[in-house]
Amino acid sequence: MAVELRLMIPTRQAEPDDRELVQTIREGDELAFEQLVRRKTSKVYALCYRIIGNAEDAKDISQLVFIKLWENLEKYDPTYAFDTWLYRMVTNVAIDFMRNKQSRENAVNSNLRLVKTEAEADQGVLVQRKEIEQVFEDVSACLSPKQKTIFVMNQMDDLPSSEIAKILGCRESTVRNHLFNARKSMQVQLQKRYPEYARLWSAGSVE
Amino acid sequence: MTSCLEFRSLFHAGTNDPALLGHLRSCDPCLDYAAHLDPDVMFRAIGGEDLVPPGGVDAFVEDVMRAVHVRSKEDVVESHHVLSWPRRLAVAATIAASVVGGTLVFEHERQPLPAAVQVAAVTPRPAVAQVKLTTKPVVETYSSANATIVEVPSESAGDTTKIVMVIDDKLPADL
Repeated sequence: MAVELRLMIPTRQAEPDDRELVQTIREGDELAFEQLVRRKTSKVYALCYRIIGNAEDAKDISQLVFIKLWENLEKYDPTYAFDTWLYRMVTNVAIDFMRNKQSRENAVNSNLRLVKTEAEADQGVLVQRKEIEQVFEDVSACLSPKQKTIFVMNQMDDLPSSEIAKILGCRESTVRNHLFNARKSMQVQLQKRYPEYARLWSAGSVE
Repeated sequence: MTSCLEFRSLFHAGTNDPALLGHLRSCDPCLDYAAHLDPDVMFRAIGGEDLVPPGGVDAFVEDVMRAVHVRSKEDVVESHHVLSWPRRLAVAATIAASVVGGTLVFEHERQPLPAAVQVAAVTPRPAVAQVKLTTKPVVETYSSANATIVEVPSESAGDTTKIVMVIDDKLPADL
């Protein structure tokens, strides 16, 4: 007599991936949307913060992104990666915000940063992450919203130019051009306002 | 976890190794070292980690869901304002029925009446006692040495009505 033994091992239900979550949301499950928001909040906020450079504005823009996501979820084509689609939404909203902000402020702050003296610069510099954040905010003010977005995605989010091209819906060569121009403009700004870092940068191989 | 020693031995300009970049983003002395070799990593040190919005993720998600609920309710209200297809059809049918019905009634009234009805319709009604309308002069007699009388000429030859203007400075105001 054959005896069948079945081992009952409790298994943890795997988390649905992004596409599955989107499908569930489309079927009217708001809790699934909450789960998706929770999953993507940190990434979306981080990208917004690095593009916009202000915590409160970045928070508002991130919330706006998720509301737009809710309203446009029907338009998502699951044959594409969800993150690419989400990043496109983030960059569109953030770039719009930056353009409006730039037209309001017209880079008022661009010349207000205290320039260190040559003597101070000669004393050498210890590169510290915290200060670099401030330096970046100052020198990136000269970039166009698109240039800054591309620079942030490439340098801080480690996205390759091919992926950035997909997100922005442009050619890879356009992304590389923007990157090149962004570096060039930032180097000029760095030279003008942070000579101590500029010396460092010019010592290296900036394209 | 990459140690500082490993980092310095493995790091080279233009690296995209996530482990090395991860170390770079958490260690200032190694960032300083790397930035001298490859200045491009200077700004790369900023990224790499996910950030938490002010107030925390829970509060953020709560705000988003609240906004989404508000939007959903607005959509429901809007969809109630817009008539559904069956309702639109019902309204259209009612309007069409009214127009057709009205046209039929109108056409029916315009048709000539039967002869008997016509005779009845032209039968003169009993004569109503006619009241003769006459004008009564307000001032019957009036005499004044200062009065000037002007007669307004009539507009047509057959007009027998005479209009006369009396101009008198001493005429009492209540006349």
